[in-house]
Amino acid sequence: MADRSILGLFQEAEPAADAMDGLAKAGFEPGSFDVLTGTPYPEGAFGEHVPQHRLFRFPAFGAIIGFTTSILITAGTQMAFPMVTGGKPILSLFAMIIIMYEMTMLAAVIATVIGIIFESRLPNLNPGAYDERITEGWIGVVISVDSTRSQEAESVLKGAGALEIKHAS
Amino acid sequence: MQQRRVIDQIETNRILLNGQLNTPKWWLPTVLGLGFIVIIGFVIIGFMVNRGLGVTGLSRPVYWGLFITTFVFWVGISHAGIMISAILRLTQAEWRRPVTRAAELLTVFSLLTALIFPLVHAGRPWRIAYWILPYDFARGIFPNIRSPLIMDPVAISTYLTGSTLFLYVALLPDLGNLRDRTKGWQKALYTILALGWRGNPRQWQLQTVGGILLSALMLPIFVSVHSIVSWDFAVTPAVEGWHSTIFAPYFVIGAVHSGVSAVVTMMALMRWLWKWDDFIRPEHFDALARLLIVVATAWLGFTFLELIFAVYSLDAPEIALRELQIFAWPWNIMFIVFLFTGYIIPVGMWLFKSVRSNIALMFWTSLFVNIGMWLERFMIIVPGLSRRTPFVYTWDSYRPSMVEWSILVWSVAWVTFLMLLFSRFFPLIPLFEQKESQVFVDSIKIGRVNVPAILREQE
Amino acid sequence: MATSSAIAGHSAAEEHAAPHNSDKGHVVLRPEEITSTLVATTSAGASKFKRWALILALLTVVGIVGLVLKLIQDIDHQERWGYLAATIGFLLTVGGGAPLIAVAPVLAKSNWVRPLTRLSAAFSLIGIVTILFTIPMLFVLPPLVVDGARRRTIWFESPDYTPHMFIMLGLATLLLAGFGLFYSSALPDFAAMRDHSTGWRQRLGKTMARGWVGTTVQWRTLRMRIGMFGTFYFLVLIYVHFLYSTDFAISMVPGWRDAIFPMYHSMSSIQAGVAIAILTAWAARRYLGLQDYLRLDQFWSLGRLLFASSLLWVYFFFSAFIVFWYGRGEADKAWVDMFIRGPMIWAFLPGMFMAFLVPWWWLVWNRVRTSVNGPAIGAVIVLFGLLLDRIKIYVSSWAVPPDQIHDKYLMEIPRTVWPNAFDYMIIVGGISASALVMLLVFRAIPVISIWQAQEYQLLSKPVKFIRGHGVLVAKPD
Repeated sequence: MADRSILGLFQEAEPAADAMDGLAKAGFEPGSFDVLTGTPYPEGAFGEHVPQHRLFRFPAFGAIIGFTTSILITAGTQMAFPMVTGGKPILSLFAMIIIMYEMTMLAAVIATVIGIIFESRLPNLNPGAYDERITEGWIGVVISVDSTRSQEAESVLKGAGALEIKHAS
Repeated sequence: MQQRRVIDQIETNRILLNGQLNTPKWWLPTVLGLGFIVIIGFVIIGFMVNRGLGVTGLSRPVYWGLFITTFVFWVGISHAGIMISAILRLTQAEWRRPVTRAAELLTVFSLLTALIFPLVHAGRPWRIAYWILPYDFARGIFPNIRSPLIMDPVAISTYLTGSTLFLYVALLPDLGNLRDRTKGWQKALYTILALGWRGNPRQWQLQTVGGILLSALMLPIFVSVHSIVSWDFAVTPAVEGWHSTIFAPYFVIGAVHSGVSAVVTMMALMRWLWKWDDFIRPEHFDALARLLIVVATAWLGFTFLELIFAVYSLDAPEIALRELQIFAWPWNIMFIVFLFTGYIIPVGMWLFKSVRSNIALMFWTSLFVNIGMWLERFMIIVPGLSRRTPFVYTWDSYRPSMVEWSILVWSVAWVTFLMLLFSRFFPLIPLFEQKESQVFVDSIKIGRVNVPAILREQE
Repeated sequence: MATSSAIAGHSAAEEHAAPHNSDKGHVVLRPEEITSTLVATTSAGASKFKRWALILALLTVVGIVGLVLKLIQDIDHQERWGYLAATIGFLLTVGGGAPLIAVAPVLAKSNWVRPLTRLSAAFSLIGIVTILFTIPMLFVLPPLVVDGARRRTIWFESPDYTPHMFIMLGLATLLLAGFGLFYSSALPDFAAMRDHSTGWRQRLGKTMARGWVGTTVQWRTLRMRIGMFGTFYFLVLIYVHFLYSTDFAISMVPGWRDAIFPMYHSMSSIQAGVAIAILTAWAARRYLGLQDYLRLDQFWSLGRLLFASSLLWVYFFFSAFIVFWYGRGEADKAWVDMFIRGPMIWAFLPGMFMAFLVPWWWLVWNRVRTSVNGPAIGAVIVLFGLLLDRIKIYVSSWAVPPDQIHDKYLMEIPRTVWPNAFDYMIIVGGISASALVMLLVFRAIPVISIWQAQEYQLLSKPVKFIRGHGVLVAKPD
């Protein structure tokens, strides 16, 4: 059970990538270590496992909810008070389409935002070891280990050229 | 398109977070001054609600005047955000980077402002609650979804919600940055808002993919919103000049024209006020001006189509309206001003690269555009209503009162006030996007020349 | 900067490139390889070419025969000429819109469009077919003024022959502008044909290349001409769509006042242009073995454009529909009765399905868009849909009897006009003639621009980035 978080700080990308390689070679689980950057890098730039996500399901699910709700609201309100206005039918499909479209898109957008936050694993209440210099251009390689392997992890990071090591529980 | 000096991340943080970490001296007096105008504006709105719409110039037959014009104007301005943020993100245009957040912010605040106008226009605004919600279940009175006046708030609320959420999601990395740069209550605030952002590859990937997905979802909403606003007018056969099929794309293209021009105004102010010369460069104004030339010319084409088909109808009241709009005082002057400020002067000037790269000229021409676009909406709405028709017993021409003009001025001050307030707590330029561009930039040596290049990820 | 130290030497580009004949990634090609491969496509598959050319030529003759017979039989029956008007509208829609692919993305400096510029620009040449088919229409177009009364038209006080003159002038200008766009961008490739082919191709290349040697001044002039002709072509195209849609459709129906219709016509032309570009690229890739040039990137980008333009089709359609449906004036109701639930409902419903609903549901899936065949299937569906859409518009418009054209609004919805044998011959003949023109053009010059392909190789290099791979793409100003 991983109970320690160790962060190695680098100023250049290449040593950080070496650290990632080293941790993988040392047999640490791919999901237990990660690279932290203050700016996005191309996918796979540090040799990390490219994360799989299911973000595309969220807007689809949201759209279905929005579409269903909007049909109920538009059809329901028209049938509940069936008054002919402007010579239009009680169930005016083309007017309904507009409201249905907007509500479908609204639900899809809200679901997408929830999906982005959820798939990003946010809110992250236990962020582990972190350093503010990451948002100043430093690159962090962070690993969650149990105490039996923490020395090994630290030595891999130092061996790759980490300028500083930080710990958190 | 590649004039830039190399700036490291520490300096990027220092420069772009100066609004939050080292607030400029001009900020507080400006905000206080604008705040004063805003309060006066609210007082005038309160006065109008108390005394009734009689204090305005609205009356039979001109029921819609300056308020609805300004409502449409602000909805139009709001279209810049998604235009720039979404379309340029989807086309991977590099020059969008310094502009996206400020444009999205302008969208949010101008939509909020736009929504206030139908509220104050109602005369008895508290009754809007009954109109939106069921009055009571026993009587079962629901909003009439067949009415464009219901479609409108639904569309605008959807756009507002989507834009706000889009803004927040894209702000997450910079909230993390601010959390790292501050102390005390500010750190606590940003820590909560950042939701524990760390910057691992998963989070960055979701930012990229999510940004593209949200852009793709927001684009149809962006097109639909101003189309639905245009249908407030276009579906009405009773008013000359309104019942035209071209209103939807005409309004949308006009919105893009005025919105992007407003972004140019805002960018010039950002560069001057916060001294962001390294981030907001002449090449951005050049690119925006070229986009505006295309958009403005398309808008002019739509204007031409609208006019020609009005005359095509051979319908006497329609032709009489057009004669009123183009030849009769005071509309003839407004028509000339609208044409010159909305197209002829700005586009004529933007054809020259020296003007496109001159930030002061871009600032003034963009202001011209918005004067012209406000007049365009005024000329669409009011002349058609003020025509003389059978069974209309009064036909005084419409003169906006001081109350209406004051509320117009209030709206400009309100949007600016909100933008400045935002800038005190959140960066107006996305820092991570600026830093990303520096990671992805390099050059290729071809012969003796080093040609600037961008790194694109392999599929 | 981290990037400079992270990017490996450019001389190692090939080891980071994608293998040949794969769909994804960047393929490294040498300039001489590009020239020889693309020049060879003009003479490849001679027997297949001859077979197809013969079939298309025969079908073209069938079309011309159909046209002549229709002139003999139906010269006095204006209501029966709707299918020819629809065919011309369709050819204008497809052939007019395709060259925009060669214009807009180029102005936006997109690299994915480079292999598509030649085949797109060449579609402007089917303007020859459009003009030929329009000539008989000029004889059957109803006069503007009857018994001293002028019907609604955009030619307010102009002479009676005005629509005829201006539509021909417009089509001719469009053809010239399109030819200018095509030719100005093809100069370096004609020079390549002069230098690397034999026989009549070499002679043609020498004539058309006009002494091109590739000096700096020539290249600068080339880019300037492409920009100028591109802009000019776009403006003329919109104008011609405006003329054709108003004179041959709107003006034929009393009370039909539709300011968005010319833009709807233009927008669907862009949609059709994207669709035909996808189809042509698919055919070129499959039958000429051009997998290294027409890659996933091209189909993915065009697929997105097709998806977006299908959405725009329904947007423009609905913008008109909602105004008429909501307004419920006499003219509004007549429009809905005629074009939506009236005599051509059999063309409207499938047309809408194929121009919007089906391509939208097909192309919305990522897996379909990120494939070569997916967008091609969508393109075929769209083209059928737009043909039906044009039939709906023009056959309905021309079905209004001449004695009703001058009314205030349409009081009697005309009955359905079904196509007869001559109409089928004309539609088939028009499409075949256009395909024949394209086939002949690409026997004289490669379907993919040689200089564009070479320039892309010059401006891009696959590189290693830390532990990943990317492509450096130069952005010269």
